[in-house]
Amino acid sequence: MLKEVHMPKLSPKSDQYFFGSWLKQPGDTVKVGDVLFEVETDKVISEVQSQENGILKTQDAQEGQATNVGDLVATIEVS
Amino acid sequence: MIYIPVTSTNIYQNFALEYFLAAEKRFKEPVFMLWSTTPTVMLGKYQDALAELNLNYIQQQSIQVVRRYSGGGTIYTDAGGCQFSFIQPQSTTTISFDTYIETIQQALLDMNISAEKTSRNDLTIKEKKFSGNAQYNHQGYTVHHGSILFDTDLEQMYDALHVDDMKLRSKHIASIRQHTINLKTIRPDLTMADFKTRLIRNVRATFAQHDTYHLTAAERQRVMHLAETLFEDESFIFGKTPHTEISKKHYFPGGGLVQFDLNVNHGILTDLRLTGDFFSNLDASHFAQQLIGRPFRPATLKRPIQQALAAYPILGIQTEDLLDLLFS
Repeated sequence: MLKEVHMPKLSPKSDQYFFGSWLKQPGDTVKVGDVLFEVETDKVISEVQSQENGILKTQDAQEGQATNVGDLVATIEVS
Repeated sequence: MIYIPVTSTNIYQNFALEYFLAAEKRFKEPVFMLWSTTPTVMLGKYQDALAELNLNYIQQQSIQVVRRYSGGGTIYTDAGGCQFSFIQPQSTTTISFDTYIETIQQALLDMNISAEKTSRNDLTIKEKKFSGNAQYNHQGYTVHHGSILFDTDLEQMYDALHVDDMKLRSKHIASIRQHTINLKTIRPDLTMADFKTRLIRNVRATFAQHDTYHLTAAERQRVMHLAETLFEDESFIFGKTPHTEISKKHYFPGGGLVQFDLNVNHGILTDLRLTGDFFSNLDASHFAQQLIGRPFRPATLKRPIQQALAAYPILGIQTEDLLDLLFS
């Protein structure tokens, strides 16, 4: 089954974040708590962790681009 | 609260110490540290060094360059300023600066320095900034750090962070320039040492319980190792930006117009075009081939430019002129 990962709300002030970098690549095994990617907002670098066990299927956000709260960021194949 | 005395002014070691405390030591209580640096420019994690720094001046003045793990803009620090760090377990996934900034604000008020907090989480006096703050969250810990200008060389700060107008394209976080003020102008009676002693005392007083912790010899060794492998890594400092396109031109009186159009990928010069109306037998294409593939920094390009100009001089234009144009 494919689970979607959406951009969580991290800042009380802003809903648009700078997508910094991916820490997992498509095909990588991911576990709950693994850091998937990091974003910058309001001078803070935040790590976003996986809520699923599975395999990262797609990266749907690009490094260096703006991403909004709720945007589809990735999909994870869970068994 | 745990207070850790820091005597090092080595920025790489001090950032490594913060990281060690968040990633490996992981105290349950908040840690507080106050420290200073040798002349240093600190880039935010996703900033483009080429857009923020006057690299030629920075090299001439032996200013250290470091990239933070936190966000925000570029700052200049030296022995006339201080940095504070708070490291503690992340209490919420929502970003908050208030507790840390209010602690510093109160500690300053106890020295009769009345500061205002701005919406960008800076501290100001009469709308002039003397403290900026940034954070990173790592493995469930928050590292909050900030700078305080007390008696910093503001002229050197301006020169190190002044980049001539140019066309630059890359995906990065840009700094916001603001007017600054040294706290010594508010409290000229205080020395830097007095100021730091009182700041530490006042911050400690805001916590009901506080202890002092000294790193063991093994922990100091570990911090040195992290400094070398993480924060001194030039590919991290200069190679973080995937792709930068730059176009710079300048008219040199007695020499003519020189224009560089270049691409830098992860800190490496990947394309360069030299054009202009200068007088020389220099083959622009051959000149470019001598530079392409090298790290795009003054120290690595100086010698090949010198060699090229020794063989084919440009009338009225020297190596330093070209380095200034490329990196200032």
